[in-house]
Parts: sequence; C-alpha cells; structure tokens
Amino acid sequence: MSAALDVLVEPLASPGVMAAKLWLPFGSACDATDQRGAHDLLASLLSRGCGPYNPKELADVVEGCGAGLRCDAQEDGLLLSLRSTMDDAEQLLPLLGWMVLEPHLAPDQVALEKSLTLQMLQRQREDPFHIAAVAWRQLAFSDGGYGHDPMGVESDLQTIDRQQILPLAQRLPTGRSVLSLAGCLPEHIENRILAMDGFRGWPETTGGSSACRPKYGTSAAETIRLEPMDTEQVVLMLGQATVPHGHPDDLVLRLLQCHLGVGMSSLLFRRLREEHGVAYEVAVHYPQLMGPAPFVLLASTGIERAELSLRLLLQSWEELCQTTLSQADLTLARAKFIGQMAQARQTCSQRAERRAQLRAMGLRDDYDQSCMDAIKAITVEHIQETCQRWFKQPQLSLCGPPSSLKRLERIWAERHQ
Amino acid sequence: MPDAPLTCLDFWCQAGSSSERPGEEGIAHFLEHMVFKGSGRLAAGAFDLAIEALGGSSNAATGFDDVHFHVLIPPDRAAEALDLLLELVLQPALEPQGFATERDVVLEEIAQYADQPTEQVLQSILSLGCGDHAYGRPILGTASALNAMDPSLMRRFHNRRYFGPNCTLALAGPAPETLKPAIAASALADLPGDRTNSSSHHPLRFHAGRHTQQIDRLESARILMLWLTAPAHNQEAVMGADLATTLLGEGRRSRLVERLREELQLVESISMDLTALEQGSLITLEVICPEDALPAVEQEISAVLHQAANEAVSEQELRRGCQLVSNSLRYAMESVGHVSGLCASHVLWHRNQDLLNPLSHLSHWSADRLQSDLFPELLPEKACVLIARPGANQ
Repeated sequence: MSAALDVLVEPLASPGVMAAKLWLPFGSACDATDQRGAHDLLASLLSRGCGPYNPKELADVVEGCGAGLRCDAQEDGLLLSLRSTMDDAEQLLPLLGWMVLEPHLAPDQVALEKSLTLQMLQRQREDPFHIAAVAWRQLAFSDGGYGHDPMGVESDLQTIDRQQILPLAQRLPTGRSVLSLAGCLPEHIENRILAMDGFRGWPETTGGSSACRPKYGTSAAETIRLEPMDTEQVVLMLGQATVPHGHPDDLVLRLLQCHLGVGMSSLLFRRLREEHGVAYEVAVHYPQLMGPAPFVLLASTGIERAELSLRLLLQSWEELCQTTLSQADLTLARAKFIGQMAQARQTCSQRAERRAQLRAMGLRDDYDQSCMDAIKAITVEHIQETCQRWFKQPQLSLCGPPSSLKRLERIWAERHQ
Repeated sequence: MPDAPLTCLDFWCQAGSSSERPGEEGIAHFLEHMVFKGSGRLAAGAFDLAIEALGGSSNAATGFDDVHFHVLIPPDRAAEALDLLLELVLQPALEPQGFATERDVVLEEIAQYADQPTEQVLQSILSLGCGDHAYGRPILGTASALNAMDPSLMRRFHNRRYFGPNCTLALAGPAPETLKPAIAASALADLPGDRTNSSSHHPLRFHAGRHTQQIDRLESARILMLWLTAPAHNQEAVMGADLATTLLGEGRRSRLVERLREELQLVESISMDLTALEQGSLITLEVICPEDALPAVEQEISAVLHQAANEAVSEQELRRGCQLVSNSLRYAMESVGHVSGLCASHVLWHRNQDLLNPLSHLSHWSADRLQSDLFPELLPEKACVLIARPGANQ
C-alpha cells in the first residue's frame, strides 16, 4: 500500500526559486447542480487557516518568506500553488499537506469568503467577455458540470454554508492526487515529503478511486444566446463542445487552434484584423480538459461592423468542414504548435503544473514529446474528417447592445434555413 | 539561463506616448501597430509568417515613456529573427491602405477599453491627477485624433524618435556564437546617431484633490487614489516607494488589506501599485467595495495611512516587505521575456546595472526613514482621489 499521492520532481536551473503544484481531482464540474460555486469556495478557504496556523499566522508564514500560496478551483480539480525560494521550501511545503488534511474552515472565514465571492460575481457582470462566456457555457453544457463558471452562480452561492462545504473538504484527500515540484529543490525532497508534518497521515490507496465522476453536460435545445448590454462593442463566441485532452482527435484540434487563432499569421487574425480591420481581439479558446472541451472562436467588434464580423467567423467555421487546409497552412500550424509547447515550458510553475496535469489526466509523462512526433503524421484530409466529426452543430453567444443582437440573430437564423 | 529553450530579442525605443506632440496623441501606439504592417523589404504579414514558421512569436507594447517589440525564437534562428525585427521596426512601410485598415483596428481597441468600466475609472484618475501631461492622456489616443492622422505625420514621428541613442536591443536566453557578429553587422549599426533631441517635456504638474463620478455599468463602487513620487532614475526612492506600497497593500498581512478586507470586511479588494516612470512614478491605490460602504472605507483608509506616517512599522513588517519585494524580482527572472525587458529598460534609460542591483537600495530604508520620508507623502491629502459610483454617466 502506498499513499494516494504521486510525488513528481523536476530539478531545474532557476534563479534560486521553486514551484510546487498540488492537484486534487475535485473541481467545479463536481459541484452539485444547486451548489454551483461550492468547490471554488472550498478552494479559497484552504489558505484561510490549516494545521497549526490560524488565518493570520498562515499569511504571516507565507508572506514573511516573500512566497506565494494560492488555491484555485478549475473545472476538473483544485490546484494548490506554492512559489518560494529554495531556502524556504522545507518550511512552506508542509502547508500544502495541512491545507488538504486539516483545513480549519472556521465559520467566520467561510462567511468572509462567501461574501467576497458574491461581490466578485456581481462585479464580473461589468465584463462583456465574461457574460458572453457564461452564456456560451450554458448553451453547450446546460446544467452539467461544465455549464457554469468555476466561481459559481450567485443564487446557489447564497444558499451554501459551512455544512455543505465540510463533506467536500473531507473527501479531498481521498482522490488520486498529484504533487509536482520544479526548480531549485532541496536534496532528495521527494523521499521526505510524505514524512513531513502536514503530509503525515495522507490516506493510502484503496484501489477503488473515490474521485467524483461528473456529468459534464449536454447541449441546450437552442443554438444561440443573446445577452443584452449597453456596450460599444459586441462580443461574439462561436463554437462547439469537442473532446477531452489526450483524445485521439485532440491533437488535430490543437493544430487547428494554431491555424485559426495563434499568432499574427493565424487565419482569424489575418481575416478579421488585417483584411477587414473589424476587430482588435480575436482568439480561439480550447482549454485542456478531462471532459468535452469547448472549441470556441472569439471576436469583439464595433456594432456597425458586427454583422461583417459574424459572417467572417461563420465563414471561417464552415470552411473547416468544406475544404482542406493547404499544405503550407498545415506546415505553419505544426511550427506554431511546437513553438507553443516551448513557450509553455518557461517557468518552474509552468513545468510543475504541466507534469501534474498530465499525471492527473492519466497521460504519459512524455506525452508532449510524443505529440511533437505525432503531428508529423497528421494530414490535411485527416484534419477535415475531424472537423466534420466535431464542427457540425456550432452554438453562438453574443453580448452587446440589443438592437445589434437582433440583427445578428437574423443572420444566424438565415444560416439555418 | 541554460534551461531556457527560447531566446528573446527585445527592441526598446524612447518613443512612448510622452514623446507625442499636439496633434499626435495616440500615434506612438498606432505606429506600434503599423510596424507589423510591413516594411520596404517585407510585405504586410510576412514578418509574422516568417517568425511563426520558425516556431517563434512576437508582440509589442507601448507605454508612457517607451515602446518595445519582442520576439521569442529558438536560439538557432535568432540571427534571422534579429534581421527581420530590425527591418520592420526601423523601416516601416506606413502604406496608406494598411494605415486606414489598422486605424480601424485601433478604434476597435479603444472601443474594447471603453466597455471595461475598470479601465475607465483608471483613465479618469490619471486624467484628473496628471492633467494635460502625457501621463494623463490615454496611450491609445482618441478616435478624433486618430481619424485626423495620415502616414506622413507618422513618418515624421518615426524619424524624430527612432534613432541611435533612443534605442536599445536586449537579448536573453541562449545566444549562439553567430549572434554577436550578426548584431554587429545589423541595421542597428547604421542607425543615425544623435539628432537634436527636441522632446521638451512639459513638466508634470500633479493635481491633488477629491472627485466624485458616476460611471455607467459599474456593478460595485471604486475608490482610486493616485500619488506622484520620485522618477525612475532615482532608484533608491523608487525602491522605497515599492517597499512602502508593499507594506500597505500587498498580501493579507499588509496594513490596508488586513484592516479593510480581513478585519472590517468592508471591501472586496484593496491593492496598491507602483509604476516607475521617467518623469515621475505613480502610485495607485484601488479599492472595490459596495457603494454603501464608501464613507467608512474612505475614513479607514485615511486612518491607516495616517498611522503609517505617525509611527514606525515594526522590524518584522519591514522584513516581510523586503522579502516580498526581493522575491517578486527573483520570480521575474524566470522568464526570458522579463529578463530582456528589464535589461533593455535599464540600458535605454542609462541605468546600466546588474539585474538584482535595485535590491541593494532596500537596506537604506529603515522603519524610521520610511516613517519620516515616505509615508507622510502617501497621505490622502496629498493624493488625487476619485470616488466612482455606479450609475448613469454624468
């Protein structure tokens, strides 16, 4: 029997600093349907008192070392992040263990975090990009686990209190967790972690994993969502839920993301910005998730040019199924993919997080390396087949002035006739 | 940095928005966009294509004081990338059709900012505090000023600012042997030397005072405070200011966060920020809170700031502040982009030094000196204060 905690270390030359990432397989996708935001609230509470430290003492220890400690709820899990100098690592690493095994969850801290989150949720309504993104999630995943922002939903959060958080906290140590360290590390740290204060008592593997098995959600009946807001621009998000990270089609979609949205040579950048000057922000959103990941084209555009922008986005989307990429486009996408990979390995934090993520997703440690080889075998025909599999039923969310949304809705309706 | 798989080339120029003359407002940033629209030798888009086909990426940013263009590239292709980058930055085509299209893109960028109330509030306080000085104007410019511009005006701006002593190239990451001769033989060597540098900055006259505004689409209220402090070349003072803002506003144990967010629970967030600038650095305090908490919040901020001026911080607090300031610089050293940026800006503004050297100034700031020299300058009475309430624009 061994502890249900994978410990990964990667010594790296760095300016005397290290990063630690602790991944726990309980994210916002595991929120109960009427408790959306519970895992995010739990995450924010872990650094508000644990083990021998009350909230003030904990902040003192961390900030006194000039370190950074945070905990975030993502869709698929909670991610605890520590950043410090090598000299402080031994003193600070135990905090990660205590946060999971002995969080205090004191009632006054629960009330404070809940109130802060509610205020933050309200303030996010200022941001048209956020509103459009939330609307798109609802279209693609309805009331499933991916259907809400990890931060949650105001009406649900109002009803969550300590009683709902406690059971979620109790099961945190029971999943298959991963601790990943990178940077300038104390010698043989990997052998000492589980004996450290804070990590002692980490439960052993039980065979049957108790990870939550979320229902990610299924797409809503409608294909368009309008979010009226009195803005100068309209935010457009067009896309579809696709595949998990590591799925056989995932690599093709990553290449497509490079083709469509990475860099100034990308199709959306050239078409919307360089040729037509209709948008400043264009992007392709394709997060690495354990469930069906959104593949979404995004643009924000002035109201008088919004119709043209929508037509250009639709054209870009529909072309993918109808025509093959050119060889030159494929070669460029491969080069960008490799470049992206290099850029994502710059800091200790990035390296540690990627290793934790791969392990958590059940992918091999050399997965990224194998992708660099695998992309060579992908052909333009293969890409088109993949598009035809995943891009047949796109959904559109729009945030902007009502009159503009009406006109855009007509364009969308015409397309379906 | 032996482990870094990428080399960063970073070209900096003293051509931020503060080098604009009347009628040119926004041109520094607009030019940054136009640079990517091609040069004499490179068609529009050819640069991006070439860099990205090598597995690299490029970007640029315009500030008040300077502008920079950077390329991240596999080391063995750095010499090629350098050649392309310099061609682009030093010989922009500024072709009329591309000029008109890119102006539309900048207008979209302005509209996107206008839709973010947080950005609006920040711009408001800069305008109120810095008046008609460049630091008070939006770097992006205004639609009317941009619409009145033509390529010849931009050409004159480029000629006036992009020459030898105004420019610095920095490189971070692995540097192959071939790169040094490539730099020596590059277009940098041909840059014209000193011209009569006619940038007569008009001095930054700071306007303390208290203002209230209603801002549409704001969901919670804001309090912003702005102070003017020492210019970037006074590094000792800037490090002191960095330390002071850290003690007051960074982390849960900082004075303002502990009192207003943790104890009294009056605010959603409160933070302080220092922006080192050549003509006077700016310190901002930003508070997000419910509208009905505004009076209490203002009163408590005042109490915290006065207390800091009245009694010295403890040795433990001082140590904590120094640790946070030092480590944040160390963390920044992890990325080649940050390293090249720091190097370039030091050299560009004649502060050539070891990258961690600014930390040596920290030891000159004792608790007593902070109390006597710095905190009295950070009182609300000396600030430009903006209370922003949700509601229809006035």
